[in-house]
Amino acid sequence: MGAVQMRQSAGAWATAAEPVELVAAAAGGDLKAFERLYWQFSPRVYGLCLRLTGQREAAEDCTQESFVAAWRALAGFEQRSRFSTWMHRIAVRTVLARRRGLRNEYEVAEPASALPEVADPGGAGPPLDLERAIARLPEGARHVLVLVGIYGFSHAEAADALGVAEGTCKAQLHRARGLLTAALGLEET
Amino acid sequence: MKDRLQKSLDQQLENLPQDIPPPANLWPGISARLGHRSRRARPMVWAAAAGVAGACLASALTWAVLHGRAESPATLPAARAPTFDEPRNPSYVAARDNLELNFRERLALLDPATRARIEASLAVIRRAHEEIRKALASDPASPVLEQLWQSTWHDELDLYDHVVRATQPTMTRT
Repeated sequence: MGAVQMRQSAGAWATAAEPVELVAAAAGGDLKAFERLYWQFSPRVYGLCLRLTGQREAAEDCTQESFVAAWRALAGFEQRSRFSTWMHRIAVRTVLARRRGLRNEYEVAEPASALPEVADPGGAGPPLDLERAIARLPEGARHVLVLVGIYGFSHAEAADALGVAEGTCKAQLHRARGLLTAALGLEET
Repeated sequence: MKDRLQKSLDQQLENLPQDIPPPANLWPGISARLGHRSRRARPMVWAAAAGVAGACLASALTWAVLHGRAESPATLPAARAPTFDEPRNPSYVAARDNLELNFRERLALLDPATRARIEASLAVIRRAHEEIRKALASDPASPVLEQLWQSTWHDELDLYDHVVRATQPTMTRT
């Protein structure tokens, strides 16, 4: 599947009905159905992982891990929530778990400037200076900004996914906005 | 002014694309790791395997019962019943129904004790079959389960065949 097709399928996903039958088939062990879910949902999962980690290689690892984890857990997914919401939570958990694992071994450098290389998938792409500025935010502030500011999580959902208090989540978002505003030269002069 | 700047930033964030296509080579790496379902399915495999073991034992027992009452092993034809790999195949279903009908007719001619033991064997096979069917529902791609599923069908057919052949009226042998 090419980039254009994937963009189309991803765009359709935002408004598409819940893929109940595909999810049920995949939960029953249908690998083809799961592959279709992958092509439908991986752009968003990868985008989320890429922005949370700020590193392309880490985002690829986390996307892979997220879908492997989803496959293993699908039998227990009862479709009470949307599949996309469920996948998002798995992706966030995977990113956080990876981060914790790496921290145990050595201190990880702050995100490099990997995002701008891939953040323009279609041509009419995002403002790269904004993407760069997001990637350079401190980790806690970046996580909250990505979940709430870009992916539309509520503060409660973001706090739950990140394992922090809702107040912390709000404070981090405020901090992130301030840092971004400064970085982008949006300050009042 | 500050509010306007903040709105401008929020607007820019909302305008960022949520989807970023992953590299095309990501899926093969994922699919290569999807061979096994969650561990919850594992006990089902073992339960199914245990069921098949029971079914085989039941078949063997039936064979022993029937051969014990037969006049001599030489009088039993050596040929096996035809094998069917697809239980939903119409010809299979028709043949199986016919064989089962014969089996029921012949079973009724046996003494109550022998009949009870054969019925018990059949129940074991069918229980194993049902356990494997459930396991397959949660892991349909499992070649092991598929193999076990087929083996229980064969066990049931073998049992029918043994009974039918072992109870052939003497006058039909020429």
